[in-house]
Amino acid sequence: MKKIVGKLIAASLIASTAMFTVAGCGKGAEPKTEGASAETAATDTAKHTEADTASGEKVKIYYPTYRVGAHASAAAEKEILDEFNKQFGDKIELVVEELPSDQAYVEKMKVLAASNDLPDIVEGKNGIIDLAIQNGQAADLLSYVEKDSAYKAEIGEDAIKASMRDGKLYNIPYASQLIGYFYNKDLFANAGIQPAKTWDEFMSNCEKLKAKGIVPLALMTGENAWTTNLILASIIGTDGEEGNKFMNTKNSDSYENSSVIKGLTMIQKMLKEYTTSDAIGAIYANAANNFLQENTAIIANGPWMTPDFSDPEKSKPGLDKKVGVALFPEDGIVSQFEVGFMVCTKDQAKMDAALTFLKFRTGAYAQKVMLEKGGALPLTANIEMSEEYKSENPLIGDLIKLGGAAKYKYSNLDNTAFSSVIDTFAVNYPELALGSLTPEDMAKKMTEAAAKNK
Amino acid sequence: MSHNKKWIVLFLLPAIILFSFVYAISLIVLIGTSFTDWSIGSSIHFVGIKNYIDLLRTPDFIKSILNTLIWIVLQSTIHIGIGVIFALILARKKWYFKMARTAFMIPNIISSAALGMLFLCVFNPQFGAVNNLIRLFGVKNFSHNWFMDPRTSFITVTLTWLPFAAVVAILILAEMASVDEGIYEAAKVDGASEFQTNIYVTLPMMKNIIGTATVLAATSMLQKLDIIMITTSGGPGNRTLNMPMFIYKTALSQNNFSLANTAGVYLIALGLISVVLINKIYGMGKSDV
Repeated sequence: MKKIVGKLIAASLIASTAMFTVAGCGKGAEPKTEGASAETAATDTAKHTEADTASGEKVKIYYPTYRVGAHASAAAEKEILDEFNKQFGDKIELVVEELPSDQAYVEKMKVLAASNDLPDIVEGKNGIIDLAIQNGQAADLLSYVEKDSAYKAEIGEDAIKASMRDGKLYNIPYASQLIGYFYNKDLFANAGIQPAKTWDEFMSNCEKLKAKGIVPLALMTGENAWTTNLILASIIGTDGEEGNKFMNTKNSDSYENSSVIKGLTMIQKMLKEYTTSDAIGAIYANAANNFLQENTAIIANGPWMTPDFSDPEKSKPGLDKKVGVALFPEDGIVSQFEVGFMVCTKDQAKMDAALTFLKFRTGAYAQKVMLEKGGALPLTANIEMSEEYKSENPLIGDLIKLGGAAKYKYSNLDNTAFSSVIDTFAVNYPELALGSLTPEDMAKKMTEAAAKNK
Repeated sequence: MSHNKKWIVLFLLPAIILFSFVYAISLIVLIGTSFTDWSIGSSIHFVGIKNYIDLLRTPDFIKSILNTLIWIVLQSTIHIGIGVIFALILARKKWYFKMARTAFMIPNIISSAALGMLFLCVFNPQFGAVNNLIRLFGVKNFSHNWFMDPRTSFITVTLTWLPFAAVVAILILAEMASVDEGIYEAAKVDGASEFQTNIYVTLPMMKNIIGTATVLAATSMLQKLDIIMITTSGGPGNRTLNMPMFIYKTALSQNNFSLANTAGVYLIALGLISVVLINKIYGMGKSDV
């Protein structure tokens, strides 16, 4: 009854606002065995698989994905899913629902979470994991992982430790993130500069680039202000121990501190003086295009961007030879694990199948494919890069080396802040850039946004 | 119950069932939860009218109401005016009739999301057509961020839908086609010019359909979300925030479903008031003929 009421309530919201045309994930009505856990599922996996195969019926599991079309990891995702179907297609029917963007994915999962109707395998990014835990759909995967030592080694202790919540493991990461910034060596040479060691030098470099008629930074304030917020997170995360601690703290309730205000003050100057005229309101594609077309000298972004540098449809010819990668000033780097996947079913047979898929999707094979086809760094050093890959992607090797030498490691804002806080950037950065909002005012607005999160 | 009444009930039943399950129950739950404190994963607590009072003290919500009201007024006047004028021009059925009708309809058949992306490009400060056009007319190095400059954001967002009144024009054209030709011939015999015929003959006869189109245009402003989300997200600040965008953010960013549902009740109330007012203004349902 409670579930039905929940579904009706969620449906009412949708009907009242006419906001979405959300088709169901196709999960449909299914028998649910309350209290089923990943542990019992692991124990019964063989039994169920045998039974299902004997009866000739495949277990159907639902998996939505946004890694489609022009997404940087679309090719990797396709290869992984094809291989899964090849290996397990006779026992498990993987129903893939393609969603056109990260944002569409997050929105749809949040709506489905509201009606306790998340699909069997869900990525927990952008707060989806919090909702899945709150509504009781996310399964605790710890006992399953503990029992499979080979799989546990593929994920690695660090990723497991980073994903634990109150002694439970609701998500398995599929990749780690190391994010510095990419720079155009030719444009840097033209301005006579090297990657900065301090933030003062970074600003001075921007000034020198500007003096040479080169736009220094590819920034954006639309969507989640990704490239801009990586720099903001780095200014905060390298601002001594306090700043670093702040950038490694999840769901902060106050942003009114000296590190954040220092960061916003510098971002204000960058938005006013050191970026393209379309940065205010720009989406990721605009910022990326500005760097790929050599309109700007610097873009903060992850290694998944590296395939674009040699893509003639996206970049100027020869750009891949001109791009270097650097740590943020003060030897900082964004270093974290992707949130990864959750299992959101309580039906025993589906749980078994979902765990099989989860193991495949986050295991050694998938990590290697994600690295070589999608530029996503593996969870552990056990996944070795082939020599061919290393020679074709020197930036990835450089980034890993830099990561080892970094003094400050921290998460990005998407990973640490409430989604209500992330929402404030798109509407407040334009005001900050125009000077109608001071850094202090903006920090206050971020605090207010955090307080609104429920 | 007479035989006739039984048939009426039978034919009405599918619509009643559909309405009950799709709208009525949703509406009851919506209104019910607006008096509670509820988010995903939390238990529901009754809080009386607290949400209603809290919203009226929220500057963003007040701004969203004001913006929505302004857009309703603009859509009910300028948008309808454009549609009516276009319908009167097309009704002359000159050589450009079909081409103009099709061209005018194009923005209405493109999805709002695609239209949003299109306008982002058109108004892009670097390579957008608008800025390039201004540069072409001699303003060197002209660059204006139309969507994100507080001085132009509201009007730029408004321009993404205000001029595109093809649906209004087509509704009026359909109604005009049903008018007896004899009436126009009589006006001609009486020496009325084309302008006088339009003002004193055609438009009075179009009152009901213009009223209907106004209701449609006004209520469409209560659903406007995707194009705002893509172009400005309601910013800069809250300058282009409307009620659907406020509800979206409250529900999906803040996870505050009860407050979002309360804003939904306000939205429905605003819609009902708009419809009643427009009906009164146009005296719809009453025939002058």
